[in-house]
Amino acid sequence: MWGGWYGKMDVQEVTHRPLFEGEPIYSMWLRELIRFFAMRSRILATFASPLIWLLFLGIPLSQIFSSGASQSVPGGLSFFAFIVPGIVSMGLLFGGTNSGVTVLWDKEFGFLKEVMVAPVRRTSLMIGRSLGALTIALIQALATLGIALILGTWLGFRIISVAGFLLAIGFMIITFFAFVGFGLTLGALIENTEGFMTIVRMIEFPMFFLSGALLPISVIKGIPVLYQLQFINPLTYGVDGVRGLLTGVFLLPAWLDLTVIVAFALLFLFLGAYAFSKMEVD
Amino acid sequence: MAILTTEDLTRRVEALKAVNSLSAPPDFTLDSDRKPILVVRNLSKGFGHVTAVDAINFEVFEGEIFGLVGLNGAGKTTTMLILSSLLNPDSGSATVCGYDVVKEKDGVRRSIGFVFEEEAVDIYLTGKQNLDFAARMYSLARQEREKMVADVLKTVGLEQHANTKVKDYSGGMLRRLEIARGMLTSPKVLLLDEPTIGLDVQTRRYVWDYLRRVNKEMGVTALLATSYLEEADYLCNRIAILHEGKIVASNTPEALKDSFGENLITLKLSKGSQEDFARQLREMTWANSVETQSQGTLVLSLKDKSIGIPEIVRMAKTHGFSISSIKSSTPSLNDVLLHYAKKSVAERDE
Repeated sequence: MWGGWYGKMDVQEVTHRPLFEGEPIYSMWLRELIRFFAMRSRILATFASPLIWLLFLGIPLSQIFSSGASQSVPGGLSFFAFIVPGIVSMGLLFGGTNSGVTVLWDKEFGFLKEVMVAPVRRTSLMIGRSLGALTIALIQALATLGIALILGTWLGFRIISVAGFLLAIGFMIITFFAFVGFGLTLGALIENTEGFMTIVRMIEFPMFFLSGALLPISVIKGIPVLYQLQFINPLTYGVDGVRGLLTGVFLLPAWLDLTVIVAFALLFLFLGAYAFSKMEVD
Repeated sequence: MAILTTEDLTRRVEALKAVNSLSAPPDFTLDSDRKPILVVRNLSKGFGHVTAVDAINFEVFEGEIFGLVGLNGAGKTTTMLILSSLLNPDSGSATVCGYDVVKEKDGVRRSIGFVFEEEAVDIYLTGKQNLDFAARMYSLARQEREKMVADVLKTVGLEQHANTKVKDYSGGMLRRLEIARGMLTSPKVLLLDEPTIGLDVQTRRYVWDYLRRVNKEMGVTALLATSYLEEADYLCNRIAILHEGKIVASNTPEALKDSFGENLITLKLSKGSQEDFARQLREMTWANSVETQSQGTLVLSLKDKSIGIPEIVRMAKTHGFSISSIKSSTPSLNDVLLHYAKKSVAERDE
C-alpha cells in the first residue's frame, strides 16, 4: 500500500514496550483512589453499608438462632460471627463484579477511549483499574471487620489469629479477582449497556443468597436444585474460605475452597482479559 | 483500483482527481516533499444493517487541516474512530503516518492525539491531574512529563485553573482541556471530532484560532470532523463532504462553493423597463444568466466574482435606469451540504 512509499515515520522512538507497564498501571490505580476519596458519599457508604447489614440484619437474625435451640449454626459459632465473613464476601462479590462491568460505563462515557488511544496494553489498563478497585474493596473489608470486632464484644465475634487474618486477606484478594474476571466477562457478553446493571444485579443477588453467606448451606438440604446450586456457586467457596481463616470454622474442606476459587479466578480473568483486549469502541 | 499502483506522485494525484474529484489545495504544492499522512482506501464499516462508512477514499497531506463535513449520522465519527485504531473497519484500509490502523495499532497510537466529541476527561479529577494521568500512559521520564503538562496548560490558558476539579469548569474551559489532552504529546496528527460542539461564538473562535496556531507553528496535521460548515470554511484547507457514509464531494471550501452555488444578484427597478435592462445585462461578459420574475424582479447570476453591486448600480445609471432595491447572495457550504441531503431524499422517494 501507499504507506510503504515513504516508510514508517519516526513518530517517537518506537522501542519495544516493556512487559510490565508500571506507569500506566500506577496511574489507573491512582485515578480509582482519587475518585474514591473525591466522593464523600462513597466514603460514607463504605462504612455505613457494613454497619447497616450487621446491625439491621445481623442482630435480628441472630435472635432467631440463639432462641430456637433446634436450629444452630454449625461449628459452634454465634450467628453474628457466622455472617461477618458473609458480609465481607458480599463486598468482594459486588465490588469485584462492578469493577469488571463498569469498564463498559467508562467506554460509554468516553473516558476509556481517552486511554485506549494511548499506546498502552489493554491488559495494563485493566490491571491498574482492578488494583484500584481491590484497594477500595479491601478498605471496605477492613472497615467491616473493624465494626464487626466492636459489635463482636457483645455478639461473640473475634478473629482467631493474626496468621488467620493475614491468610484471609490473601484469600479475599483471590476471591475479588475472581469476580473482576467474572464482571469483565459479563460485560463483554452483554453488549447493550441499557438495563445492563439490572441484569448484573439479577445474577449477583442469587449468587449472594445461595452462597452460605447469610445462612448455613445445610439449612436447605431438603430442597432439591436450590441446595445443589450452592455447590456450583463459586462464592460458596469464597465465603467458606474467608470464614474458615477468620474464625477457624470451615464447613467445607479448606483445600477445596482454595482450589475452586483459584480455578475460577484463573478461568474468568483469562476470559475477561481476552474480551477486554479485543474490545472496540463503537 | 490498479491505477493507484503507480509510483509517480503526480500521476497518482491525477488518478485520484478522476476517482474522487479531488483537486490539489491551492496553497499546497504537490511536490515530493508533501507527504500523505493519512491515506484512506475503500474504507467501509457497518453496524448491523446500517452502513456507517461506505467505501470512502481520501488522503490528508502533511501540515494540512482536512475537514470531514456532514450531517449527524453521516459516518464522521466512525471514520475518526477507525483512523484512531479504536475501531476495526469491515473492509478497505487506512494508514496513519505509514502505520496500518488494523495491524500496527501501536504505531498509530503513537502518532495521534484525539479530541473526542463527548467528554473524555474525568470530571472528578483536576485539570492538571487529568493531563498528568494522560501523560503517564506514555511512560515518560518525570521531568519530561511535568514539562509537557505545564506547557500545554499554558498554551490553552488554563494554568490558573490547573488545580480546579474539572466538574467546576465552564464549557469552554472543558473543551480547551480536551484539546490540551489531545495535543499533550505533540502528536503528528490531531483527530478532532466536533471540537467546538456546544460552545458560544466567542469561545468557538478562540478554539479555532488556537487550532490554526497549533497547525502553523507546530506543523500538526489535523483531521476535523464537523457539522458546522462555517467551522470547516474557517479552518480547513480541503474538505470532504460525507453523506450517508459516502464522500459526495471533496475539494477546497472555495471550489466547492463555486461549483455548487452561484453568486446571485436580485434587483428591482424604479425607473425604466425591466425587459430592456435584462437585455442590457445579457450583453455583459460577466453575466451568466438573467431571469425576469414577477413584480419587476430581476435575478442575475454572475460568472465573475469581482463584479458586485456597485458595478451594476453604475451600469444602470449610465443607461438611464434606476434601481430601487438590490441584494447579493453568495453561496455557502450549507447550500452544498443541503444540496446533497435533498438529492438523497429525492432519490429515496423515487
